[in-house]
Amino acid sequence: MSLFPKSRTIDLKNFEPSETPLTAKYGLPEKVSFCQRCVTSNQKPISAIEFQHTSGSIKQAIHIDDENICDACRVAEKKSLIDWDARDAELRELCDRHRSNDGSYDCLVPGSGGKDSFVAAHMLKYKYGMHPLTVTWAPHVYTEWGWRNFQRWIHAGFDNYLCTPNGRVHRLLTRLAVENLFHPFQAFILGQKSLAPKMAVLHQIPLVFYGENEAEYGNPIGDADSAKRSWKYFSAPEKSSIHLGGTSIKDLTTDFGLEDVDLDPYLPANPAGLEKLGIEVHYLGYYVKWHPQSCYYYSVEHGGFEASPERTPGTYSKYNSIDDRIDDFHYYTTFIKYGIGRATYDAAQEIRSGDINRDEGVALVQRFDGEYPTRFSDEIFAYLSIPEKEFPQASKMFEQPIMDLNYFNNLADSFRSPHLWSYNKGQWSLRYQVK
Amino acid sequence: MVSSLPSQVNSLTPRQILRIIARLDIKGANLIKGIHLEGLRVVGDPQVHAEKYYNDGADEIIYMDTVASLYGRNNLLDVVTRATEHVFVPMTVGGGIRSVEDARALLRAGADKVAINTAAVKDPSLITKISDVWGSSTIVLSIEAKQTSPGKWEAYTDNGRERTGLDVVQWAERGAQLGAGEIFLTSVDQEGTKNGFDCQLVSAVTKLVDIPVVASGGFGKLDHLKELMQVSKPTGVAIADSLHYKKFNFNEIRAFCVSNNIATRQRSADEKISQ
Repeated sequence: MSLFPKSRTIDLKNFEPSETPLTAKYGLPEKVSFCQRCVTSNQKPISAIEFQHTSGSIKQAIHIDDENICDACRVAEKKSLIDWDARDAELRELCDRHRSNDGSYDCLVPGSGGKDSFVAAHMLKYKYGMHPLTVTWAPHVYTEWGWRNFQRWIHAGFDNYLCTPNGRVHRLLTRLAVENLFHPFQAFILGQKSLAPKMAVLHQIPLVFYGENEAEYGNPIGDADSAKRSWKYFSAPEKSSIHLGGTSIKDLTTDFGLEDVDLDPYLPANPAGLEKLGIEVHYLGYYVKWHPQSCYYYSVEHGGFEASPERTPGTYSKYNSIDDRIDDFHYYTTFIKYGIGRATYDAAQEIRSGDINRDEGVALVQRFDGEYPTRFSDEIFAYLSIPEKEFPQASKMFEQPIMDLNYFNNLADSFRSPHLWSYNKGQWSLRYQVK
Repeated sequence: MVSSLPSQVNSLTPRQILRIIARLDIKGANLIKGIHLEGLRVVGDPQVHAEKYYNDGADEIIYMDTVASLYGRNNLLDVVTRATEHVFVPMTVGGGIRSVEDARALLRAGADKVAINTAAVKDPSLITKISDVWGSSTIVLSIEAKQTSPGKWEAYTDNGRERTGLDVVQWAERGAQLGAGEIFLTSVDQEGTKNGFDCQLVSAVTKLVDIPVVASGGFGKLDHLKELMQVSKPTGVAIADSLHYKKFNFNEIRAFCVSNNIATRQRSADEKISQ
């Protein structure tokens, strides 16, 4: 493998104001369009299989139909036709089939202790009479309020296993994901997706509950029709096809000084074990009308959940995805790559939920989207640095192992797509904005 | 309108009589409510609620378009204009007031006082400018306070979203010096929780500031009023959640105050009939 360079060359000619068609990175649609019901654009990639994600991966973006409505809004529309009483009966039937009476756990609820997992576990236990075991994949770096909320979840009446990955491995994989994919959240997603099935096998609990279905946020509509989560998201038949941080397992072990055991928490569960257990993965959002804002109210009322003490940079919200300090950067990178920042995600969700209207959403996006996340930046740059003392072999793979603002900004520019960004008089600006 | 006071409070100055204020947070055309000023839920039509609170005996109504700054807009004019036809207690209006002209429009529409937060933080002289034109009794400094350490609070703007770096107590003092006639003090930590007022916060401000202070955020049961009055000297309390969700009405609140020696304005029976 070649060295990660200190600086990447950005050809600014590609970013001049232009009338001619411009190349789109990541296989995104060249012509940008916006959903006319929410604020999302057709540049928003749908969930992909993270351990196959490499720098050359082509994204599949959210579908916006002939009437300029996105799939996520269509899902929201279909929700109004659902017979929730019938779904509730389905859930009760499912619980009745699995409920234990011998002192064992009967379902697994993965989550962070944020509002959604709080509601999932709490409802299953106190409303549906189940005996959930909760499992948590730790954030990169907890926020103080995220940690307190996690504790409140446990103290609302749950056993919990917290899996915290080896900090050095996690940092290295995150740095690689930033270098290769500009995706600082990837190591978290990888571990989070594989933890629950593995814990299910370990504890022999076949029934796994998540809160919301990803189709809520624009994965193909077909996904939502079945509550059972497709296997492909969390099991891999062959290890050789697996990439972490966009780097093959072979390279990670030969060039970056990692051993097989270091990678284990990130690797998908063995399908054979899952099949033998007869694992069933369900979304509560299929059975119960899921409303993120109501989840906030519910967890305040039943667990003393606290909102973040200030709005998250890049958006206006305080109750949503607030437990990881790296989260600010996660949404900043989606803004750079797809022109879609945190305010777009939050506003789109709240529009679909009926909490705000589109005009308000547009105003919020115009005001907050893409704001540079200053508050934890020094800490995050230290986190993303790979000093020789701690990483004797891996640090040699970086011309500049230490991450700083200049390095990060240059990297960011290298991930900008000409069809989204223009550069004029030292300023980057989006070619299209939601109106 | 003249309110008759029971004999034991006749000798008190207005500052010693606790005003019970209905707080209505407004977004667009709707009455809304959040927790920690977050997760804003639509409650209903502000006009319906304001009329009810007036008829039930509110001493004052405060309208807060708490998201006006967030969205960069100002649209309380319609709400205020509608309210003046049926609501005859003092009305304070806050949210999105950025200039003397904004204040003028709201006062003309029927507001008795205007409350400013974000604009005052950006340009403190706006307090003086409004005070110079209409007098300090029309200008309320609204402060969203969040505790940073024991005995310390930071002022926030944009509905509890943006830090300002300003110490709440110092900011309240400065606001009074600049000409504010009242402090409307919201505890972001307690707001919407029904867990009680931030009594230490109110106490810290009322100890140092010589103008009326209204405590907002946290009322959830009657004892919370007693706790508040034991340690601090606010001139008013703002109640939202408990009124909107009909946990308490004004009669219950006043009766509690009477039995706990908290002086409030008492409405006579004939006053209601004469409306």
